[in-house]
Amino acid sequence: MLLIRLLIALSVLLSASSLWAAQRCVTDDADQHVCVPRAASRIVALSPGATELLFAAGAGDQVVGAVTFSDYPPAAKNLPRVGSYQRLDLEAIAALKPDLVVAWRSGNPQVQTRKLQSLGLPVYYSEPRHIEDIATSLERLATLAGSEQTGQATAKSFRDGMAALGARYQTALPVRVFYQVWKDPLMTVNSQHLINEVISLCGGVNVFADLPRLAPRVSREAVLEANPEAIVAGGMGEENDHWLKDWKAFPAMAAVQRGNLFFVSPSTLQRPSPRLLIGARTLCTQLETARGRR
Amino acid sequence: MADAESKRRLILLALLLLALLSLAVAVAVGSVAVSPTQLLAVLGGGGEPLHHDLILTLRGPRAMAAFATGGLLALAGALMQILLRNPLADPYVLGVSGGAAVAALLALLCGAGITLVSGSAFAGALLSTLLVFGLAHGVGGWTPTRLLLTGVVVAAGWGAMVTFMLALSPARQLPGMLYWLMGDLSYAGSPWPAWLVLVPALLLTLPLGGSLNVLARGPLQAAALGVAVRPLQWLLYGLASLLTAMAVTTAGSVGFVGLVVPHMLRLLLGNDQRLILPASVLAGGSLLTLADTVARTALAPEQLPVGVITALLGVPSFLYLLYRSR
Repeated sequence: MLLIRLLIALSVLLSASSLWAAQRCVTDDADQHVCVPRAASRIVALSPGATELLFAAGAGDQVVGAVTFSDYPPAAKNLPRVGSYQRLDLEAIAALKPDLVVAWRSGNPQVQTRKLQSLGLPVYYSEPRHIEDIATSLERLATLAGSEQTGQATAKSFRDGMAALGARYQTALPVRVFYQVWKDPLMTVNSQHLINEVISLCGGVNVFADLPRLAPRVSREAVLEANPEAIVAGGMGEENDHWLKDWKAFPAMAAVQRGNLFFVSPSTLQRPSPRLLIGARTLCTQLETARGRR
Repeated sequence: MADAESKRRLILLALLLLALLSLAVAVAVGSVAVSPTQLLAVLGGGGEPLHHDLILTLRGPRAMAAFATGGLLALAGALMQILLRNPLADPYVLGVSGGAAVAALLALLCGAGITLVSGSAFAGALLSTLLVFGLAHGVGGWTPTRLLLTGVVVAAGWGAMVTFMLALSPARQLPGMLYWLMGDLSYAGSPWPAWLVLVPALLLTLPLGGSLNVLARGPLQAAALGVAVRPLQWLLYGLASLLTAMAVTTAGSVGFVGLVVPHMLRLLLGNDQRLILPASVLAGGSLLTLADTVARTALAPEQLPVGVITALLGVPSFLYLLYRSR
């Protein structure tokens, strides 16, 4: 009898603890507690960056909906669309019956993401602002999706890769860099931006780091005055580097004189995803080239 | 006389049916197909949870917000056109939407949440109203022309401030900001505040129809016929501004409805304010509800801003009516 009671007690305990284990909770970038009763199996991603993070976290198979321009990895291109990140099709999202929504905190309309929450959907607000945030995002999303193994491995290799770059260029001579986000209007980034963090990691110094706004517009004159040693540009597309040619009209600039006009495909440097490591490696190599041309 | 009265009732009844039809269409149609039986099941209190969410949480409130906004704008437009005696007057001509946009953008730039942004949009609209009112009064008299000029210039000032803020704002906030300038119901919150303004405002203006008919012919004639012109003008101005402020707070500056709906109705029904004011509410509401339904379904899951659709639907139909009229 006692044995049976013990067994029952044990099984109750076990099932309770397995229930406990099944509930998955993380804190998101809006400092909210996000819980799913079991590993999320139907996830909708509300920004191209969120889609990319989910795939990298090993949850790609569970993503059932994405917004327009979700183009990486290639499998994301075939996902059912739920509108654009600025104007979501709430009906289409509800119809997918997701058990987790990964939203873009500063990109999606707040009214719409709140409405999703009011439908009872768990919403994870994503907003990686630092290199480290990308790794933690991968881990958190993997926890919610039950793909911890892949997620933690990707996070680790991302962290290790970044740390290796940091170690290598820690003592490198500083290179003054102008990073061009956009051409018309001419835009760059300040010290608060993720790209600035990558530039510093590679031993670069962003010439416009001290400007007050995150993505300030600057004049060509200001760039000439700052006289950067290297100009690094994103572009309209992945291979379009014509923005750089315009700078050749100013041969007096150190960057032009030494031929330090570099292109980094924008999706590897401007999107908060693990591909930032690729962008960072490219940028570090380019700045190293610039050092060699002194 | 009795004949005119019954004709008016008939027209309003037809418009009411149009309004109900537009709301029914808005609830029945979306990017997810819901069959009529499923729709009825939900309206009867049952149905699948998904359909319940689609109809009662997503489509219903949005359709109600669209209707109220359209009604507010059309009524405000009709009142402004009478007040200013200018066919080009629309709810935004005196800078109400500009004030709302500037205040909303400021709140957005300070990182405020939605409630605060809506609140400041409303406050900005009323502030602009008071500013224009005070300035138009000036040291001299208070005439519609002076009011119109003051309003247009203040609106231009707001426009410059909007451009200034857009130029300085971070790129990622731009879409959220443009909404205030373009009008978009996918951002609309609860529809009830708009209804709470619309219904009392309409009830207030209905008994004024006769006086407004006289006022539309000119303030001198109205005064000669015993209308208290000045208080009536103030009331019109305050009311139209309040209606516009509410509309802008609900859905941003949706263009075109406030300008064109009253004109269309005048071309069709004649210029009797007793008919035009309630008809504007019903027709404006229906137009915006239908336009928003098209906006969210035409290219679904891609969602369009409703302002595009109101203009695309309104421009040709208005031009046709104008061309046909004598």
